[in-house]
Amino acid sequence: MIRFDNVSVEYPNGVRALNDVSIHIAKGEFAFVVGPTGSGKSTLLKLIYREVTPTRGRVLFDGEDIGALKANQVPYLRRKLGIVFQDFKLLPQKNVWENLAFAMRVIGRHPRDIRRRISEVLNLVGLTKRCDAFPHQMSGGEQQRAAIARALVNHPTVLLADEPTGNLDPDTSWEIMQLLEQINTHGTTVLVATHDSQIVDRMRKRVIQLEAGYVVRDQEKGAYQHSTLTEDLCCGA
Amino acid sequence: MGLRNVEYMIQEAFTGIRRNGIMAFASVTTIALSLGVLGTFALLALAANRFVLSRVNQFEIAVFIEGKTLADIEPVLKQIRSISGVVEMNVRDRKKEWEAFKRDRPDFESAGVPLDVLPFAVDVKVSDPGRIAQIASKIRLIKGVDRVNESKELVDRILAVLRVVKVLSIAGVLVLLGTTALIISNAIRLTLYARRLEIKIMQLVGATNQFIRLPLVIEGVVLGAVGAVLAWFFLTLGGRYVALMAEKIVFLGRISSGVGRAELACGLIFVGAMIGAAGSFVSIRRFLHD
Repeated sequence: MIRFDNVSVEYPNGVRALNDVSIHIAKGEFAFVVGPTGSGKSTLLKLIYREVTPTRGRVLFDGEDIGALKANQVPYLRRKLGIVFQDFKLLPQKNVWENLAFAMRVIGRHPRDIRRRISEVLNLVGLTKRCDAFPHQMSGGEQQRAAIARALVNHPTVLLADEPTGNLDPDTSWEIMQLLEQINTHGTTVLVATHDSQIVDRMRKRVIQLEAGYVVRDQEKGAYQHSTLTEDLCCGA
Repeated sequence: MGLRNVEYMIQEAFTGIRRNGIMAFASVTTIALSLGVLGTFALLALAANRFVLSRVNQFEIAVFIEGKTLADIEPVLKQIRSISGVVEMNVRDRKKEWEAFKRDRPDFESAGVPLDVLPFAVDVKVSDPGRIAQIASKIRLIKGVDRVNESKELVDRILAVLRVVKVLSIAGVLVLLGTTALIISNAIRLTLYARRLEIKIMQLVGATNQFIRLPLVIEGVVLGAVGAVLAWFFLTLGGRYVALMAEKIVFLGRISSGVGRAELACGLIFVGAMIGAAGSFVSIRRFLHD
């Protein structure tokens, strides 16, 4: 579904964010991208939603070269993606319902479809009762649920989450992760960039580890740190 | 793009204005002020143009005709009237002319020179100041005409001044138009900056550039038009005041730009809306490319 072929990204200021990255993410997969700040996690996600284009190599989405897309085709790529951020990016002057409706309205969806779809996703993320709350009236966890609902509202095939639990306490983080896992079981491919080691260790999903722009590990059912000891401890626990 | 989406965009534009009240107010004020300055300059330039033109029209051809009574000169007047381009003729009061002459040359009066020694002076108005020389030479050929005074140099000089006024005012209006466009696009950029999160989200969920741009361009048009209406209001009030002041200054007389109130309103709203649209369009481009 998503394939990186020897992708390197060098920013205009000379920073090399990614070096010769080759990975493949299959349809329906759940994968973590881990690594310290500045290791290239965000850049990897940005390549998929075409915020960044590769300096070398290719990023393919369903066989299509994302870097070669014309600017006017980018919106149609993004409609296949749902994107979630650490800072939620909810519109502060709109309530939850309006935030979701906005995401559907600006791609020209019919008001009838909007009403139906919003109640579906709000139910899925457990925010049905909070649909008329404004972001400032909600907890961080609720805001992230609303942001996930917005990401899902247009039926994306892939959900990209960039540090989705960076602003949340451990319990709430875990709830959000379970929600993402639930979404994944419905068939949506989920890719999460994070440096939350507890979560990664607990989830036991595929882990792609970046270090200074290089993929240093790509492991099924991995932990945050590549250590047999940790694995043993976790499995034993 | 369906009718439903157009309706949505117009609705979004007005919602945007309402929700970003302070920024909208700032934009409208800026647009009103810049259009006010632009309008003031344009109207003053037009008024100056008309003023100079009206002066030129007052430069008539002075024709001096020999004769003791009005009846004597009637055939000559008839011939002058038949020349094409002659609009009006005015025979000056000979008594007044005589008084003026006596003031200049007291020696004549003391010598007992009679009144009818003076020729009749006739002011001939022509339709186009550019044709004065041509008409004057035709009049000169008429029998009984003593002297023709066409004040050619003065007319030429005034026509030259008029040309300079025209060029300067067109240049001034263009420069002000450019500055106004810049100021307005800056004001709109600020309103866009305040809404960068909204634009970012639209981009991330896959809204096309057109879908992002159109409501904002409509917003620009509305803000531009509202600013223009304000500018029109102040220009009309200010114009009336200036006209009143001018009438008090004797040599200026009635001064007017010759632009009607409705014409001014249409012109300002058109310019305001166009500049608002262009300002939005240009400012959004930057945001969309980020």
